Amino acid sequence: MSKVVQAINRYKADLREFEFLLFEQFNLRTDILASDLYEAWGEDEIRTSLAECYRFVKEVTGPLNAIGDAEGCKIVDGRIKTPTGFKNAWNKLYEAGWRGISVKPEFGGAGAPYAIMVMVEELLSGSNTAFAMYPGLCAGAAEVMMHFATDEQKALFVIRMIKGEWGGTMCLTEPSAGSDVGSSRTTARPLGDGTYAIAGTKIYISGGDHDLAENVIHLVLARVDGAPAGTKGLTLFIVPRIRPNAEGLLGEFNDVSVGAIEHKMGINGSATCVVNFGENGQCIGTPVGGDARLNQGMSQMFVMMNGARIAVGIQGVAVASSAYLNALDYAKDRKQGSSIANWKDATAPRVAIIEHADVRRMLIDMKARVEGCRALAIKLAYHQDMAIILKGKDDEASAYHIGQVDLLVPLVKAYSSDQAFRVCETAIQVYGGAGYTRDYPVEQSCRDSKIFSIYEGTNHIQAMDLVGRKLGQRGGANTQAFIGDVAKFVAAHSEHPRIGGAVKQLAAAQEALAGSAMKLLYWFQAGKVQQVPLQANRFLEMMSEVAVGWLLLEQAVIAHTKLPDVAEGHPDHAFYTGKLFAAEYYAHNVLPGVAFKASLLDNENTSAIDIPDAAFATV
Amino acid sequence: MKILVPLKRVADPDNANKVKVTAGKLDTTGMQWKPNPFDEYAVETALRLTENGASTKVRLGEVIVLTVGPKEAETQLRGALATGADRAIRIDATDDDLDGDVVARAIRAVVEKEKPDLILVGKQAVDGDSNQVGQLLAEYLGWPQATFAGTIKSEGDTALLVGREVDGGTLTLRVTLPAVVSVDLRIVAPTSVSSKHSPTHTYADGVRFAALMAIMAAKKKPMVEFKLSELVSDAAAKIAYTTHELPPPRKAGIKVKDVAELVDKLRNEARVV
Ligand SMILES: Cc1cc2nc3c(=O)[nH]c(=O)nc-3n(C[C@H](O)[C@H](O)[C@H](O)COP(=O)(O)OP(=O)(O)OC[C@H]3O[C@@H](n4cnc5c(N)ncnc54)[C@H](O)[C@@H]3O)c2cc1C
Repeated sequence: MSKVVQAINRYKADLREFEFLLFEQFNLRTDILASDLYEAWGEDEIRTSLAECYRFVKEVTGPLNAIGDAEGCKIVDGRIKTPTGFKNAWNKLYEAGWRGISVKPEFGGAGAPYAIMVMVEELLSGSNTAFAMYPGLCAGAAEVMMHFATDEQKALFVIRMIKGEWGGTMCLTEPSAGSDVGSSRTTARPLGDGTYAIAGTKIYISGGDHDLAENVIHLVLARVDGAPAGTKGLTLFIVPRIRPNAEGLLGEFNDVSVGAIEHKMGINGSATCVVNFGENGQCIGTPVGGDARLNQGMSQMFVMMNGARIAVGIQGVAVASSAYLNALDYAKDRKQGSSIANWKDATAPRVAIIEHADVRRMLIDMKARVEGCRALAIKLAYHQDMAIILKGKDDEASAYHIGQVDLLVPLVKAYSSDQAFRVCETAIQVYGGAGYTRDYPVEQSCRDSKIFSIYEGTNHIQAMDLVGRKLGQRGGANTQAFIGDVAKFVAAHSEHPRIGGAVKQLAAAQEALAGSAMKLLYWFQAGKVQQVPLQANRFLEMMSEVAVGWLLLEQAVIAHTKLPDVAEGHPDHAFYTGKLFAAEYYAHNVLPGVAFKASLLDNENTSAIDIPDAAFATV
Repeated sequence: MKILVPLKRVADPDNANKVKVTAGKLDTTGMQWKPNPFDEYAVETALRLTENGASTKVRLGEVIVLTVGPKEAETQLRGALATGADRAIRIDATDDDLDGDVVARAIRAVVEKEKPDLILVGKQAVDGDSNQVGQLLAEYLGWPQATFAGTIKSEGDTALLVGREVDGGTLTLRVTLPAVVSVDLRIVAPTSVSSKHSPTHTYADGVRFAALMAIMAAKKKPMVEFKLSELVSDAAAKIAYTTHELPPPRKAGIKVKDVAELVDKLRNEARVV
């Protein structure tokens, strides 16, 4: 079927971007590294870690990306066989320690600030999304247990999962419980000794089985017999594939088996499994945190949900960023057509396609979106770090930062993932026919990136989370603080000598956004609630555009200040210049759309709701 | 075994197209620096030679990395510490004041203090490609030397069997320690380096990654600084560069109509046939 795919790395990242975000835009140095929580972490450690991690992904995970895509996963004798090289990459990853970079030292990690981990995740996901999901979900499962598990459970499971000795999964979805997790039918029957017999089928489980580690620990949402219906009655169970004894020695098989794997559009190296629990009545699980934690499954999941949703947003940034950088390379290399200045002269010299206005438009559009989404994700991570640092020291400030995390999570998840697919699609367009072929990496990027808007809560679920929950959280204080942050920036820079005009676009967008937020509130109050889901995705996009526009313009202000001190031949000169242009592009080509979208909200058009089902088509 | 590895930072060869010459001098603003790859191979070789296969926690010997250069070059030393070297020495100097001879004499002074059993150097630095320091150093010390090592087998840590890459094959030399050995690319192949303590597994091709925990630990490893003038009485370089210039840019190619024209041009313009 597929021709032999070579182990070549095609992943690209721009570490200068990372350094800019950490040390120039966000004050990691003074705000975070100065905290005694991060004593072990200095600028040198961060730079070396990011550089070494980048080298690691280029040499270890990146070369397996196309191989994993071509080979996919197979079921052999009831077990999942992952693509060639994945096992070796898993071992090397845990030897090198990157997955544990911000895990607390008591669990065997290096305790780095969260913002650094987000960057490491970008490198891992960008170089090989499918591979990175195995350790990523294992880390997510371990994180839930760090918060809620009993000490024995932590000692038995968490340490081994952090070391990569055992893998981990998150099992929520069922055939009848997708977006609606509360419809879950998997059952748990108490056995009287604190353990439960688990029975049910989970679907779409990433890494639902694999051959990378000697055991797989599933976290399974199930309903204990007699528990309430809906999400309130769900308990989170630890269900190992093989039962370990208290010392961690592996014993009997725990009646967990893979029924099938999905054949998918992308992330083919990640096994998406149907997992059957207790087909023979022999599957045993224990609640995370013991019997004291029955029926708390959903609230436990919420603790890792923020992290998981940010991770999906970062997957988007990661894949899109590499697609952009690859397209940029190609555009500098591919010669086609002549300059429009010579349009009458058939013999005019052929130029690289980067000289064509439309190709440049696509490139700067990708650049602005990628860099803006990354800035938003790191801004969020920065809020998270600040919330932790200020906790117990300045509770009001800490609450502000937590509020911003809550508010921005749906934006990072949904906007970055939507943009990722669009950026990858644009990258293919830059290449032309070549981009559509497997000779270049962007068609895989495009296929891989589509899932990001679907899992971890579809982007509509994110939009409803934003408009239904987050906007009004803490009496609307989080939203007001966000709008206030943007307004402060606007007030300070709307007369900026270079980007004042662009800042005025931000001001207009922000005003339109505030108006739309009022509109949403009005709909809730005026009994026009059906308007809300109809416009929720649009509102999320508007708010994301304001956030991204703001952060890009903030970058531009910094770049403008630094530029005069940088010699023209210095790479930073080009870097800062790029920041100015990307921000201006976004401000003048994307931000005006916010007011336009607000006008669409004002129309209150309900065609989509009013059209009878039968009228959609006659077939 | 105590091994000293001199390490030079070089302008990143991947960014070599950005090299600029201003007023006959190399302009180093904005250059990205990385360790000379051959020196990285030397560090890897030293780590392999001092590895205890029976217990990865215990090292059989010490690896000291050394550079002659400015403060910023400590980044490259820290990098070597993060991959496993035990401590580092920096001899403070500006790049412009150095040539291979000064560097060799500075290293000699450190050797006299440290008394290593072996000095492992990269066969050359990829910036100037001078290929001198190892040879000069051996001469100054009066030690045996083996250059361009593709394989090294330690004989009880008192002598080395060095497979030298020479035209037409490999020439094996036995050098008794202490000695100076310069290494070539193939030294980092999976089975190129062995000793009686070598681990049973073969190594991955190339130099090892710096693990995260090792990066964090590198901060705590010792790094000492000497002044060049403390070590060499006459620090004047023997080589003076009068000017630098970039190679002329390649001329654009031309298209020929047919084979006849091609042959004509090859014969009459290029004069190659
Ligand atoms: C490759 C892959 C990996 C996955 N990995 C995992 C995993 O590891 N663990 C796990 O538990 N799950 C996993 N999933 C499942 C994933 O989280 C779900 O697919 C997702 O939550 C959506 O559920 P669904 O597919 O049932 O779609 P549905 O819920 O049926 O949604 C279909 C459409 O209806 C919309 N919709 C649904 N409900 C509403 C509503 N109330 N209001 C408005 N619109 C609504 C959705 O937005 C969507 O557009 C994975 C899925 C895939 C494809």
